[in-house]
Amino acid sequence: MTQYELKRNCLAGLLVAAFALPLVISSPTYLHILIMLFLFAYMTTSWNLVGGFAGVLPLGHAVFVGIGAYTSTVLWLQYSISPWIGMIVGGLLAAVVGYLIGKPTLKMRGAYFALSTMAFVEGVRVMVENIDMLGPFKLNGPRGLNIPPLSADQSGFWAFQFSSKEPYYYIALIMLVLVLALTYYIANSKFGYYLKAGGEEPEAAQALGANIASYKVAANSLSAFLTALAGTFLAQMTLFIYPKSVLTLDMSFELAFIALIGGRGSIAGPVIGALLLRPVSEFSRVYFSDSLPGLHLIILGVVLIVVMLYQPRGLTEPLLRLFDRVTARFTAEGKEAEA
Amino acid sequence: MDLVFFAQDCINGILMGLIYGLVALGLTLIFGVLKVINFAHGSFIMVGMFVAYWAVCLTGLHPYLALVIVIPAMFLFGYWTQKLLIRPIFIAERDVREPTTVIVVTTGMWYVLDNLALLVFGPDYRALAPNPLKGQMLSYGEIFISVPKLYGAIASVATAGALFWFLQKTRMGRAIRATSLDRGAASLMGIDQWKIFNIAMGIGTAIAGISGAVLTPFYNVYPSVGIPFDVKSFVIVVLGGLGSIWGALVGGVIVGLVESVGPNFMTSTWTEAIVYGLFLLVLFVKPSGLFGQKHDW
Repeated sequence: MTQYELKRNCLAGLLVAAFALPLVISSPTYLHILIMLFLFAYMTTSWNLVGGFAGVLPLGHAVFVGIGAYTSTVLWLQYSISPWIGMIVGGLLAAVVGYLIGKPTLKMRGAYFALSTMAFVEGVRVMVENIDMLGPFKLNGPRGLNIPPLSADQSGFWAFQFSSKEPYYYIALIMLVLVLALTYYIANSKFGYYLKAGGEEPEAAQALGANIASYKVAANSLSAFLTALAGTFLAQMTLFIYPKSVLTLDMSFELAFIALIGGRGSIAGPVIGALLLRPVSEFSRVYFSDSLPGLHLIILGVVLIVVMLYQPRGLTEPLLRLFDRVTARFTAEGKEAEA
Repeated sequence: MDLVFFAQDCINGILMGLIYGLVALGLTLIFGVLKVINFAHGSFIMVGMFVAYWAVCLTGLHPYLALVIVIPAMFLFGYWTQKLLIRPIFIAERDVREPTTVIVVTTGMWYVLDNLALLVFGPDYRALAPNPLKGQMLSYGEIFISVPKLYGAIASVATAGALFWFLQKTRMGRAIRATSLDRGAASLMGIDQWKIFNIAMGIGTAIAGISGAVLTPFYNVYPSVGIPFDVKSFVIVVLGGLGSIWGALVGGVIVGLVESVGPNFMTSTWTEAIVYGLFLLVLFVKPSGLFGQKHDW
C-alpha cells in the first residue's frame, strides 16, 4: 500500500464512520454537538474560499448567514414556500450582496478590509433591529422570527423540519462533504491557482496578467452563497432567529478563528479547526457556563494566541506531518525508507 | 426645534466627541507606529477603567489622581504585551505583505481580557462609590454642562497636545516618528525598532488607560464596556485618518455630534446605523481619512 492509498482509505473510513455514527449515538445532546461541528466546519470551509485562498481576513460572513436565515424563514412563514427553495433564494441573494460589498472592499489592504467587513455586519445588524417590515416582508426587528414547530406527521423533508436529530445530522454531513469536494475541485482548478497567487503575491500575479480583483470578488460571491445555505439550516434547526443570533460579530469571528487554528487555505484546515474548537466551546458551555461564565471564551482566546505564536499557519500542517510519520511504518515506501 | 436644546446637544456632542477622540488616540498611535490595528483596544480601555475604579475604591483618591497609578500600570501592560505577544508575530511574519495574524492575536487578547474580567469581577455594572464629580453640572442660563465630561474633554485635548509635543520635540518622539515612516531606514540609523515598538505600544495603552480613568466618573464599569468603544474607535480613526493625532480628535467630535444631535431627527439606534454608514462611506471614498497620509503598508 502506498502512502496515497493509505490516505484515501483513511478518508473513506472516516466518511463511513461519520455516516454510521447516528446508529451508535442516540443522545440528542451529542448529536446536536456533532451537527453544530459539521455546520461550523461547513461555514468555515465556505469562509476559507475567500479568507484562506484569497489571503484576506473577512469578518463579515455573519451577514450572509443572516441573509440565508431570514430569507428562507420569511418565505416559509409568509408564503409557505419550502425552506429548500428559500435556501437557494437566500443563497443567490447573499451572492449578490457578496458581490456588491466585495467589489469595493476587496481592493483594500488587509486591515482596512477586515475593518470594513466588521462595520458591515454591525451596520446590517443595527438596521435589521430597526426594521419591522421591509416592504411586504416581516422581519420583526429585534424580536426576531419564530418558526412554529410542526406536529410529527406534518414535519418532513419538504418542510425542512424533523422531529428527531438524525435527519439534521445527515443533511449537515452531506452539506459538509459536498462543500469539501467543491473546495477540492476549486483548489485544483485554474480559478483556485489564481486565487492563491493573488493572496500570496498580488503584484506578481497582476504582472502576469491575472485579474486578481475580479477573482477575489467572484470567490466572495461563491463563499457568500454557500454560507447563506448554512444560515437556512441554522434557522430550521433552532426554529428561532433574531438579529443577535445570526448577525453578530461573534459568529464572524468564530468562523475566522476556526479557520486560522486549523490552517487557512488548506482543505482539511476548517474541519480540523472545528474538531478542535467546537467541542471545547460546547463542553465548557455545558459544564462551566453557570459556575465560570466566559471560561470557554478565555480558553478560545488562549488557544488562539498560543497557536498563532507557535504555528502561525495553523495546526493542519504539523498534524499531517505527524500522520505521515506514524503511517510511514505501515506503508511499502515507509518500510523501504527505514530499511 | 428649540435653539437652546440644539446648542445643548452640540455642546454635549463636542465634549463627548473629544472623549471619544481620546479613546481613539491610543489606537491611532499604535497603528501609526506598528501598523497594527489593535482589536483589543476596547479591552485595554476596560482594563484602564477597572484599574482606575479599584484605585479610587481602595485608596479613596480623587478620580483624576488615580491617573498616577493608571498611567504607569497601563504603560507597563502595553510594553509587555508588545514584547511578549506581538513581537514574535512580527518576526514570524516579516515577509508577509498583509499581516493579518496580528489582528487575530489582538482579537484573542480581547476575548481573554473581557472574559477574565467577567470571571473575576462578575457581570455587575459598577459605579464609582466615593465620587466627588457625580452629577455635577455647570449652568449658563438654560445650558447645562456636565463637569466630568468637561474635565474629560480638557484631558483629551491636553493629552493630544502632550503627545504631539512629545512626538515633535523629544529625541524619543523623533525616533518613533522615524520608525513609523520607514522601519528599515530607522534601524539602519541605529534606532532599535523593537524598543520603539514596545514604547509606542506602552504609550498607546497608557492613553487608553487615561481615557478609561476619565470615563470612570460618569460611566459604569463592567467587563464588556470596551466593545462599543472598540468599534467606535475604529470608526473614529478611519474618519480622521489612521495614524493622525488631530484626526482622531476631529473624527471623535464628528461621531459625538452625530450621536447627540441625531436622535432629534430619528431613533437613537438609527443614529448608530448612520455612524457605521459614515464609516463605510469614508472607507470607500477616501480610505486614508480626513487627515491621514496615503501610505503603502
